Amino acid sequence: MFCKPAFAASTALALLFAAPAFAEGRPAALIISQSGLGDQSYNDLAYAGFERALASTGIEGRTVESKEVVAQADEILRRASDAGFGLILDLEFAHGEPIAAVAKDYPDINYVILNQVVPGDNIASVVFREEEGSYLAGVLAAQMTTLPGVEGINEQPILGVIGGTKSAGIDKFIVGFIEGAMSVNPDIDVKVGYSNNFADPAVGMQMANAMYDDGADIVYHIAGGTGIGVIEAAKERGAFAIGVDTDQDGLAPGHVLTSMVKRGDVAVERIVADYAGDKFPKGQTISLGLAEDGVGLSPMEHTKDIIPADVMAKVDAARAGILDGSIKVWDVLSQGAPDYLK
Amino acid sequence: MITEILFSALVMTTPLVLASLGGLIHRSSGIVNVGLDGMMLLGALVALILASGGNWAVALVGAALSAGVAGWLMSLGITRLSANEIIVGLGLNIAIAGAVRFYLKAAYGSSGNLRLPDVSRLPKIDLPLPGPFGAVLSGHSVLTWIAWALVPLTAWVLTRTALGLRLRACGTSAVSSAAIGLHPKRMREGAGFVAGALSGLAGAYLSIGVVGLFNEGITGGRGFIALAAFYFGANRPWATAACALLFGIFDAVQIRLQGRGFPAELIQTLPYIMVCVVLLLLGLAARRRAEGKAASHG
Repeated sequence: MFCKPAFAASTALALLFAAPAFAEGRPAALIISQSGLGDQSYNDLAYAGFERALASTGIEGRTVESKEVVAQADEILRRASDAGFGLILDLEFAHGEPIAAVAKDYPDINYVILNQVVPGDNIASVVFREEEGSYLAGVLAAQMTTLPGVEGINEQPILGVIGGTKSAGIDKFIVGFIEGAMSVNPDIDVKVGYSNNFADPAVGMQMANAMYDDGADIVYHIAGGTGIGVIEAAKERGAFAIGVDTDQDGLAPGHVLTSMVKRGDVAVERIVADYAGDKFPKGQTISLGLAEDGVGLSPMEHTKDIIPADVMAKVDAARAGILDGSIKVWDVLSQGAPDYLK
Repeated sequence: MITEILFSALVMTTPLVLASLGGLIHRSSGIVNVGLDGMMLLGALVALILASGGNWAVALVGAALSAGVAGWLMSLGITRLSANEIIVGLGLNIAIAGAVRFYLKAAYGSSGNLRLPDVSRLPKIDLPLPGPFGAVLSGHSVLTWIAWALVPLTAWVLTRTALGLRLRACGTSAVSSAAIGLHPKRMREGAGFVAGALSGLAGAYLSIGVVGLFNEGITGGRGFIALAAFYFGANRPWATAACALLFGIFDAVQIRLQGRGFPAELIQTLPYIMVCVVLLLLGLAARRRAEGKAASHG
C-alpha cells in the first residue's frame, strides 16, 4: 500500500511528537542545529550529553532534526511545544528570536537556548566563557613559540589567530587568546586575521601560510571549516595550529598543539539534570567557563610529549588564577573590544 | 613579501582560470553557464574520493568526467527542453549542493566535511629558477600549469580552427548556423561538457591540490567569480585569465595585509573594489581610444 509523501511525512512528524504527556517528568526534546547530527562537532557533542542525561535521570527524550531548521523555526518550535514535551533544548543559533516569541505562548514549557541570552520567564540561556579557555591556549602558545629545540618552532615570539568573521562572538575568543599570550610575554606579536567565511579551507590555508611566512609558528583558528585548512597548513609546513570547539588534535596528530574545547555536552547534561530535579533555571542565564568545566583545553594526546612540565605548570597556574578570580579575562561581549583590536 | 603574494595569487587564481575558461567556451557557443560553482563542487568531491587510496591522475579524469556530464545534462535541459539558462544553472548549483550534502551524510555519516586516508595529492613541480622567479613559479601543482597552458590553447582553438569558428558561429546565431548545416544544439551540449569538465578540474585543484580534504563550502563562490571573469574578459581567453589573475592577486594582498593595522572589513572588500577600479580604467582607456580614432577619421 502506498501513501502520499505528504501524508507519510505528517505521520512521521506525528509519531515523532507523539510523546506521552505525564505531568511530572514530561519528556525532553533536543532541536538539532543546521549542521545536523553527524557533524563530529557541536551537535554530536550536545547529543552525547543529552543521551547521558536521559540515561542518568530516566527522563524520556527525542531529537528533532530538520533540514529547514532555520527557515521553519517557528513551525518546528510550535510543533514541538504542542507535542507534550516539558523541556525543549534548542541548539540552533538562529532560533533566538523565534524561541522568545513561541515561549510566550507556552508558559508551562521550559525552553533552553545556547550561545546567546534570550529574555523570557520560561527560557534559560546558556553562554560559554570561551575567553577563559582561549586565555589558557594563549598562555600555552606564548611559551611554546620561543621554546628552543622543538621542531616547527622558531625563536621569534609571533603567534597567529584566524577568526571566521569579525564579530563580538568571535573576538571573544581572539581577545582571550591575546590576553593569555601577553600575560606570558607582554611584547608578543599576535597576528589577527579574518577569513570572512566559515567553510573555505583553501582560504584558511592561504591565511595560515601568510602568518607562518611572517614568522608565526602557532596559529589558533576560530573558523569552522575554514579552520580545517589552517590545520592542514600546519601539517604541511610542519608548524602548529590550535583547534576549536571540539578536540581537533587528531585531525593532524602532532601539529595541533591543543584545542579550545567547548563542552556543549556538559551544558545540555546539566540543564536536563536541573529539569529532572525540578530546579530548571527559569529566566536565567547560565554562564559556563573553566569552573563549570564548560570550556577547557583538550587532553593534548599527541603533543603532550613536546610540552615541558614548567610550561604546563604555567598553564595550570593561569587556570587556578581564573578559578580563584585573581585573573579576570577580558570579555568582548560585555566589555567591548579592547583598544588593540579596534 | 612580494614573491609570497604572487605565489599565493597563482594558487588562488588556478581554479578561477580553469572554470572561467570553461564558462567562456560555453558562452561562445551561446549559453551563459551559471552552474560552474556546482560543477566545481562535484569535481572537488569526486576527485577526493578517487584520490583516496588511488591515483591523482585518475582522480582528475573522474572529476572532469563527472562534472562534464553534469554540464552536458544542464545543457540538454536548455537546448532540448528550452529551459531558461539562468534558472537551470542556479537549479544545478542547488541540486548538486543538496546531493553532495546527502551523499556525505549517507555514505560517510558526516555533515559538511570529508577527510579520507591516503589521498594522492596533485604533484608539485619544482623549477630550478633563480631568485624571485623560482619563489613565485616553483612549487605549483601540475594543474596550475595545465590551466595556464589552456589559455593560449583556447584562444587558438576559438580563432584558428574550424571547430572554434563553428562554435562561435553557433553562439552568434543559432538560426543562421543551422541554415549553413551546423548543429547549434549539439555544439552547445558539447561546450557544456567542456565547461563542466574544466570546472570539475577547478574543484579537484581545491580538494586534492590545495588542501587535501573536502568541505561543502570548498568552492567559496569561486564559480561565480569565474562567471564575472569571463564576462569582464568579454570572451577573450587572455583577458579572462588576466581578470582571474587580478582577482587572485588582490585576494592574496588582502590576506597579507590583514593583521598589519588596517581594518579587516575594509581590506576584505579590496579584491572586489580593485577589480572594479581596474575594469573602469580599462573601459575609460578603451573609450578614449575609440574617441581618438573617431576624431582622426572625422
